[in-house]
Amino acid sequence: MKTLEATKLADLAAALTAAGYRVIAPCQRGDQVHLECYQAGKTLRADVIPVNSAKDALFPRSEVIGRYRFEGNEFETVPVAPQAGKTVLLAVRPCDAAALAPLDAVFNWDYKDEFYNAHRDATTVVALACTAADDQCFCTSVGGSPDSTANADAVLRPADGGKRFILESLTDKGQAIAAAGQAVLTEGQAQADPPAQVAPAFDSAAVTAWAKDGFDSPLWKELSLACMGCGACAYTCPTCHCFDIQDEATRREGVRLRNWDACGFGLFTKHAGGHNPRHDQASRWRQRVMHKFAYFPERFEMLACTGCGRCGRLCGNGMSIREVCSQIEQAAQAGVK
Amino acid sequence: MVANINEIQSAAAALLNEGKVKLVLGYRVRGNDRVPAFVTQADQVGCLAYDSACTQNLAAYLRKGEVRSRMPLAVVARPEVMRSLMLLTAESQIAEGQVTVLAVDEQGFHGVLDLAGTAKLLNEQYARIAPDSSLMEQLAKIEAMTPQERSAFWSEQFEPCTRCYACRAACPGCFCERCIVEMNTPQWISTAAESHGNFAWHMIRAFHQAGRCVECGACQDACPQGIPLMLLNHFIAREVEREFDARNGYDPQAEPVIGSWKQDDKQEYIR
Repeated sequence: MKTLEATKLADLAAALTAAGYRVIAPCQRGDQVHLECYQAGKTLRADVIPVNSAKDALFPRSEVIGRYRFEGNEFETVPVAPQAGKTVLLAVRPCDAAALAPLDAVFNWDYKDEFYNAHRDATTVVALACTAADDQCFCTSVGGSPDSTANADAVLRPADGGKRFILESLTDKGQAIAAAGQAVLTEGQAQADPPAQVAPAFDSAAVTAWAKDGFDSPLWKELSLACMGCGACAYTCPTCHCFDIQDEATRREGVRLRNWDACGFGLFTKHAGGHNPRHDQASRWRQRVMHKFAYFPERFEMLACTGCGRCGRLCGNGMSIREVCSQIEQAAQAGVK
Repeated sequence: MVANINEIQSAAAALLNEGKVKLVLGYRVRGNDRVPAFVTQADQVGCLAYDSACTQNLAAYLRKGEVRSRMPLAVVARPEVMRSLMLLTAESQIAEGQVTVLAVDEQGFHGVLDLAGTAKLLNEQYARIAPDSSLMEQLAKIEAMTPQERSAFWSEQFEPCTRCYACRAACPGCFCERCIVEMNTPQWISTAAESHGNFAWHMIRAFHQAGRCVECGACQDACPQGIPLMLLNHFIAREVEREFDARNGYDPQAEPVIGSWKQDDKQEYIR
């Protein structure tokens, strides 16, 4: 089997960078760990769940999808091809890899999104099996597991008490990683460490069942009271995929941008005439939960939540999918509609 | 937990029982976290908690329709939150009678106050809140940089910004119904989460806080990407004090520093 010394993760990142990959990996940034582009000198951290998800690599927070020029009455569009270089998501958690299923589904549903698919096709996923979880993790409540290999091309399994990783290639793309990183990998034996124990937080089937008739529930008001209406949970969520199209132009030329957007913002649904069908935070939180646990399973037979726990880790006001779904499950058990 | 937490709870219960408030905005403990508590019944006050980990600025909820509809209300407020309430009073967002203060600091509960009483307490007890020493050290380092180095420093800091606007949402002073970043006819600031748009957003937000920011730290705490926003906020507050002899959030009748002119203003900005 192929193994990698734990101290050599950055060497693997460097080898893959040298082989022409853009390497997105968990890098130390101040006190935090961010999934960002590896550069020489950056410290990699496999022991902490990064604050952001990997979706930025496939569905960038801001992407140019068109250009145009105008002069007098003449108008000309300039086609823009996706700027998708060969990318590897190195040591991303199984919950980040799991998120590719809902993203693949939605970006290939009624329209095949050329930008997302170009990034997706150019991307190799090297998952890192989790041997530790924190009190916000809940992958096991939404159909995942800490050592799942779903959507991964290769997996790094911590072994020998965290001293090294076992690299298992699962696809051709994964084989290519093993080949490109050959110089820092060792052929040998190692004992994989046991996966993390992730205690169940709630029963997602109960949430989906309650949500079926829950649209008009007065509970949403109570559940959403602490929400301040920012987009932090949606922007760090590995599956949230709403976007806004904005044009930015000068007198003679302009770009059309696709920027992330979030259902938690009041402006998200506000009509030009001033009416807002989701006029309060309760209706926005209802949308957030319904989208992930009702509409998405109905349309794609999967949840749009992978239990990464980022929303709970970052929200100072304690608003998270984990908390809200737990409360919904309790309400369902108590017969509250 | 502060030693006299039961006094906060009984004061809250009394306010609710006497019908003086419809809601008490406070904190409660959930696991390792401190989260906002919305108490509407006197028999729920037992959940109220306070310690130094209660860092959210609850005054930010006063712009939320769902919370405003439950006025008059009471807020568990540490000195920085009290200062936010003074700012909101000065800027006509709240008025005497709408908000009652349950004054706290790390030592404990200091009584039930109206807004006038809060102004008095702030000026008597908390007139000088010393800024964090590590913040001052970082600021000194930045000030020693060349303009090019400083620009590179901030570009690096703003790079991970996703424009989630958690900083804006956590800030009691950000109560505009339509933020400048949402103005799109014409667009004032690029909404793209990349270098020039991010730079413009953070700089303009900092300027909009001039004479207003009470340095509660809620924006920096709320930022999921770890952007050191307090460096900007403290710098601007310090400049405002130096130039206009104004400290934000102490005077409920204060005229806005940016929107007013006095004969004896220093003229150093005009050259």
